[in-house]
Amino acid sequence: MSNPILCGSEEQKWSRRKFLTTSAGIAGVPLLAQESLSRELKKQGKSVILLWLAGGSSQLETWDPKPGVITGGPFQAIQTSTPGVYISELMPKMAKRFKDTCIIRSLNTKNGDHGGGAQLMMRGRRDEASLKYPDMGAVLAKELGNPQSQVPDYVSFFLQTEGRDFSGSGFLGPRYSPMELSKSVQPENIDRPDHISTSDFIDRMALRDLWSTQFEKGRSSGVLASHQQAYGRVKGLMDSKKLFDVSLEPQKVRDRFGPTQFAEQVLIARRLAEAGVPFIRVARAWWDSHGQNFETHQEMVPELDHVMAALLDDLEERGMLKNTLVITLAEFGRTPSINSSLGRDHFASAWSTTLSGCGIVGGSVYGKTDAKGEKVADGEIGAARLLATIYRALGINHQKNYYVGSRPVPLTDPETQPVKEVLA
Amino acid sequence: MNFTSIKTAKNHGRQDILFGVARIPNTNKAYVGGSDFKIHEVDFDQAKPELREFGGHSSYITSLLLADGALVSAGYDGKMIWWKTATGEKFRSVDAHKKWIRRIILSPDGKTIASVADDMAVRLWTTQGKLIREMTNEHKPLTPTNFQSMLYASAFSPDGKFLATADKIGHIVVWETASGKKVATMEAPIMYTWDPTARRHSIGGIRSVAFSPDGKSLAVGGTGKIGNIDHLEANARIEVFLWEKAERTAELVSDKHKGLVEHLEYHPKEGWLLGAGGAGEGFLLFADTKEKKFLHQEKVPMNVHALASGNALKSIMVVGHQRMVLFQMEG
Repeated sequence: MSNPILCGSEEQKWSRRKFLTTSAGIAGVPLLAQESLSRELKKQGKSVILLWLAGGSSQLETWDPKPGVITGGPFQAIQTSTPGVYISELMPKMAKRFKDTCIIRSLNTKNGDHGGGAQLMMRGRRDEASLKYPDMGAVLAKELGNPQSQVPDYVSFFLQTEGRDFSGSGFLGPRYSPMELSKSVQPENIDRPDHISTSDFIDRMALRDLWSTQFEKGRSSGVLASHQQAYGRVKGLMDSKKLFDVSLEPQKVRDRFGPTQFAEQVLIARRLAEAGVPFIRVARAWWDSHGQNFETHQEMVPELDHVMAALLDDLEERGMLKNTLVITLAEFGRTPSINSSLGRDHFASAWSTTLSGCGIVGGSVYGKTDAKGEKVADGEIGAARLLATIYRALGINHQKNYYVGSRPVPLTDPETQPVKEVLA
Repeated sequence: MNFTSIKTAKNHGRQDILFGVARIPNTNKAYVGGSDFKIHEVDFDQAKPELREFGGHSSYITSLLLADGALVSAGYDGKMIWWKTATGEKFRSVDAHKKWIRRIILSPDGKTIASVADDMAVRLWTTQGKLIREMTNEHKPLTPTNFQSMLYASAFSPDGKFLATADKIGHIVVWETASGKKVATMEAPIMYTWDPTARRHSIGGIRSVAFSPDGKSLAVGGTGKIGNIDHLEANARIEVFLWEKAERTAELVSDKHKGLVEHLEYHPKEGWLLGAGGAGEGFLLFADTKEKKFLHQEKVPMNVHALASGNALKSIMVVGHQRMVLFQMEG
């Protein structure tokens, strides 16, 4: 009987060959050493906070300004704390505390469709007909999450309705699917039912635990252990509700982040990271400024600037920044040309992302676009290299293999290399 | 006026986007400025209209006017700059606002310039650039959802005694020019769309205001409520108020054109109202505000950002997205 996953493609031949030439599917890293590294990685408590600028923010009004040229728009550029590096005048706070951030200005991702672009940037590659890849949240939940942890591994805030529905754990399965928060910053359906008192609930949990423990005696089964873990996670999720309660933060911390919905979500993301959640995505929609691009960015970029700077300051003061990677990313950027509605349209040929904190050379810029921002002039990279860079910044071997049946599937496509210049 | 007689007299394509125009009286010449940060002297009657290019700002130029024989420009760099028209030489620069200047206008007696900007300040200046007065407390710096607001529009009453200003969230204020005292406020909330659910930002705002010739009515222009705020997809909208009573007397919604009404101007004797603006393409709207109807709606081949009339509105210069057009009408 043929395996539907193994279609015999060139990629699979490469992967099988690669697998057979190494002892454990990761070039040069024996399996036991890999497991040891993996355990060590999980102990380090690393996290990622992804600020997902849904709809596609304009690189020209944020990280790659081009003042004074026909495509540049009305905004000026201001110098950052790194001499010679300029960003949009709409981001004065990030300009001042640029020391932990690297701008990558040379993304060419070739997909200007919202859905396709979002999938590509979250996964680093396109799905195959018979293989759905996990997004970076699922991968990082698996790589950085502690199996015994009782907090969620992957939390995704997407309260706006535009641009949703692209998260996915792919072949990793529902264990690594995100806890999606789409109606409120508080998780739904995790409250104890009103008709069960707290003491009843504790008694029931204790009784179930007793029976399970007795049943497991003398039995050795992964299924049983998984069963126990599942109950533990449910209990953990119910107990983790307070992590989503921003009112538990001191008022001065709330004031620092600001009063907007995005600010509240980012503050909750920090609370989650502090509690050990390895991957949190906060989507801020919707940047799709086909009309009135400059008004839209004048409205939205200062919020991003303020909240991002507040987050980085907060993480640094808590000693968390060295173990937390903050990413700004979208499905694409926006056209250098300005349309007749004073808008900018979808543009995936030369746009920007940022990485801040864990494993990153701060205060730096990688890559360059041409004078009008129409093409990448230097250091072009695609989605795969970006994800490889993110994985390596977190100490994860980007060529590590997962197995779908017996097929080895590396975290990023074969031959993909991280951008070394970005990595500390 | 015979509105159906309107015809395109001149139509010139350009590389830049023009936001401001100051017409040289009794000619088809003008100073225009916009996205290339420069001022251009142009003659619409010439096949190659560019006469001269000079000076400039460090951001988009948004507004131009002629006062005391000088050209005054304003821009998103917050500066007002004075230029000698004969030589194009800059002779005065004032840091007028901390944020984008949206518009400068000249009082009917030609002695006072009013500026409005995104620092939400209204400022009155002598034509020599001396600050007379500022009014700062009425247009809120933040929208109700804590985002930066914008102050787009202003107009003097025909006798110069009052100044109307209007902002992004649809708040309208009438000020007494001599004292700076607020004398009336009105709201046009339909012109501001905040999308709390799908996209969580805003679009719209009041972009133009004009007093009627008798000074009693105030027209404001913008666009209607927008479903998908990625685009300016709502129809062009004008509202008229008896401002002393803060009473809305007319709502005019174009059935042919979408986008923002960026310029409003009453005919000084006949009393009809001219509106201009656009989105992907532009429009001229001729309205009878008492009868609450459009008299004529004319398509313009580009999004219009500014207008300069002449010869009692029989000659209409419009400038905007990569184009400038001269229309003429028969009286």
